[in-house]
Amino acid sequence: MSADLGAEPEDELSVVEPVRMDPHITAAEALAVFRRKLPGAVAEAREVHHPFWWAALRVRTRRLLKRSSQRPGQSMNVLVNAVSGRAMIADFAPVGTAVTAQQWSALLDEHGDRSRLPSRSEADRAARALARAEVVRTVKLGMGIDISPANGHGLRGLLKPNWLVTGANAKHSATILVDGLDSSHFIVRVERLSPSSSHP
Amino acid sequence: MNIETWFLVIYFVAMAGIGVATLKMGNRDSEGFLLGGRSLGPAVTALRLQSSSMSGYMFLGAGSLAYTKGYFSLWYAMGDIGGGVLNLSILGRRMRKLSQILGSLTSIEYLEHRYPSRWIRAIAAPIAVACIFFYVMTQFIAGGRGLEMVTGIPYAWALLIAVGVIVFYTFLGGYLAVAYTDFVQAIIMLIGMLWILIGTMQAIGGWTAGNEAVGQINPNLLTMWGPDGFESVQWGVIIGAVLVFSIGYLGWPHVNVSHMAMKRPSAARTASMYATGFNLLFIPAPYIVGVMALILLPTLDNPELAVFQVADTVLPDFAVGIVMAGIMAAIMSTADALLLQSGTIASQDLFRRFIKPDMSDRQSVWISRFTVLILAIIGYWVAVNDPPSVAEVAIFATTVLGAAFVPAYVAAAWWKKANVPGAIASMILGTVSSVGWQLAGLVDSTGIDPMGIGIVCSTLAIIIVSLATQRSHPVPDHVLAALRETEKIGAIPAHMLAGQNDALAGQLPKDV
Repeated sequence: MSADLGAEPEDELSVVEPVRMDPHITAAEALAVFRRKLPGAVAEAREVHHPFWWAALRVRTRRLLKRSSQRPGQSMNVLVNAVSGRAMIADFAPVGTAVTAQQWSALLDEHGDRSRLPSRSEADRAARALARAEVVRTVKLGMGIDISPANGHGLRGLLKPNWLVTGANAKHSATILVDGLDSSHFIVRVERLSPSSSHP
Repeated sequence: MNIETWFLVIYFVAMAGIGVATLKMGNRDSEGFLLGGRSLGPAVTALRLQSSSMSGYMFLGAGSLAYTKGYFSLWYAMGDIGGGVLNLSILGRRMRKLSQILGSLTSIEYLEHRYPSRWIRAIAAPIAVACIFFYVMTQFIAGGRGLEMVTGIPYAWALLIAVGVIVFYTFLGGYLAVAYTDFVQAIIMLIGMLWILIGTMQAIGGWTAGNEAVGQINPNLLTMWGPDGFESVQWGVIIGAVLVFSIGYLGWPHVNVSHMAMKRPSAARTASMYATGFNLLFIPAPYIVGVMALILLPTLDNPELAVFQVADTVLPDFAVGIVMAGIMAAIMSTADALLLQSGTIASQDLFRRFIKPDMSDRQSVWISRFTVLILAIIGYWVAVNDPPSVAEVAIFATTVLGAAFVPAYVAAAWWKKANVPGAIASMILGTVSSVGWQLAGLVDSTGIDPMGIGIVCSTLAIIIVSLATQRSHPVPDHVLAALRETEKIGAIPAHMLAGQNDALAGQLPKDV
């Protein structure tokens, strides 16, 4: 486990101070995304949440021969999918309603065997690797990079909102997952309503 | 091993080192890069755009044109210099915004989202891959010729090493490595080229003295009308020469993808300033060196080696090594961008779209690698057995890409009535007319460049067919809404950002 993390629980998958974000996209906007794909569809949207690790990091660059930097650096919020282990950089500060650690863990339990999910230290490594990679692209060759937790916090739990929209028009029935923050979407299922054929 | 070869080896190892280091860092984070990918600032955008498009052509083709046609070759240079600025001014901001609204990650996917039909991708992807293959082949030949000259090893082995290094580098360098090294390569290219130019000017006693000496060989070489003078000018060829690299540039999928990676649409304006600065410093140099090679090396067997041979003649040994690294930088930054793009088109735009939609990321990467290897093997085989002229193939590939895609890309961002049948007709007619014109040998008999014919045909096709089919194939409402938003300056409203996001596949609830 990384030595840089703040006060950490002993269980590799337990979480401190989890928050549940409210969607930035309304149900009506999620339905509009669905109808853009399936014109004239009748559909319903259900709010769902997905568990993430949230790493608030401070990234400082320093010259290669200097041991540390006095610069304030830039702060970066990295979200790590608690199921797939993949990291993404958030261009917003995740704020929301405080929830209990049990609520966060319960969502994680839905995804099966905990031993197969990425551990807290793996999530921390993924977040740092992404922050480093992001900064490396913009700094000069030969710069060193220091990454430390911002505000003294280690990883926190985050429940990210999405909309699961299901519906149909005259020709197709479909389910799509609409991102609750930026309204991008993923087509989960599409079926042609004629009996003979279907396609993913 | 001579000192020039040592410099090359150090350069190859340094670039491979950057590739390995960035590969380790970026390996797990493709999702992060997809989400955070649109983050390049204006300077990086401009230098990536220029270094990935200024290829081995600039060192072989440009020198060859200048050596054989004198200052007539500056028509091509004019197209080159204006190309980056035109591209960023016409497409930059709008393509950046529209691609984000439509959720496009590749430049072919962007065309399909703007003109929603699977036929768009089915037609555009093979044309792009074929042209990219020809262009990559020119980079292989350029690399092989350069290595042959510096190290003295036979062409076949030099070519094998060049292809091996380029493929190895492409395998190492994913998105991150390419973005990271392009800046370094652009700087090395610029230094290398300017060093040759300065060395040449010193060797010939200044530009004026050089021009006087060239004038004694053939005064027409000092004019922009060609070695046979004004009476034999083919205006169609001149117009084509300017169009090839200025307008033709707008149709390169691997160049246009840079627009989509910009941090903000407004970065295009600043990027065009950087691009202009780079172009003004870099592009005239190989043409001027090529003309002056007529004095320094009057009996050159292969004009394509003019810039290489001049460098070898006028520079000290260690400088030749550094300059060769610059030349390899130009070749590698173009070749790896092209190979990566062709791999992406094969795996994402062809295989995943039409053959195996449920393909995993791992399979997709292997399809890309396999494509790169196949292209490299075929390219090597052709280049070693019957190497074509670098300038001819590079100009031909650019011509076809330009004729096929320029009206489709420009109309995609600027004309609301451009629809699916119009785009399909434009791509097919542009390709067929430019290839047919070239193969039928009509360039010499008519004096009209295939670029001119191709661009006229494809432009007329998209206008006429789109207008004729407005009723049967209207532009979808969501595309019209995206285009209206694209016309505005400012941030994109959240509800417009409705692209397919594969990263959400990892956020599905368990009960779905």
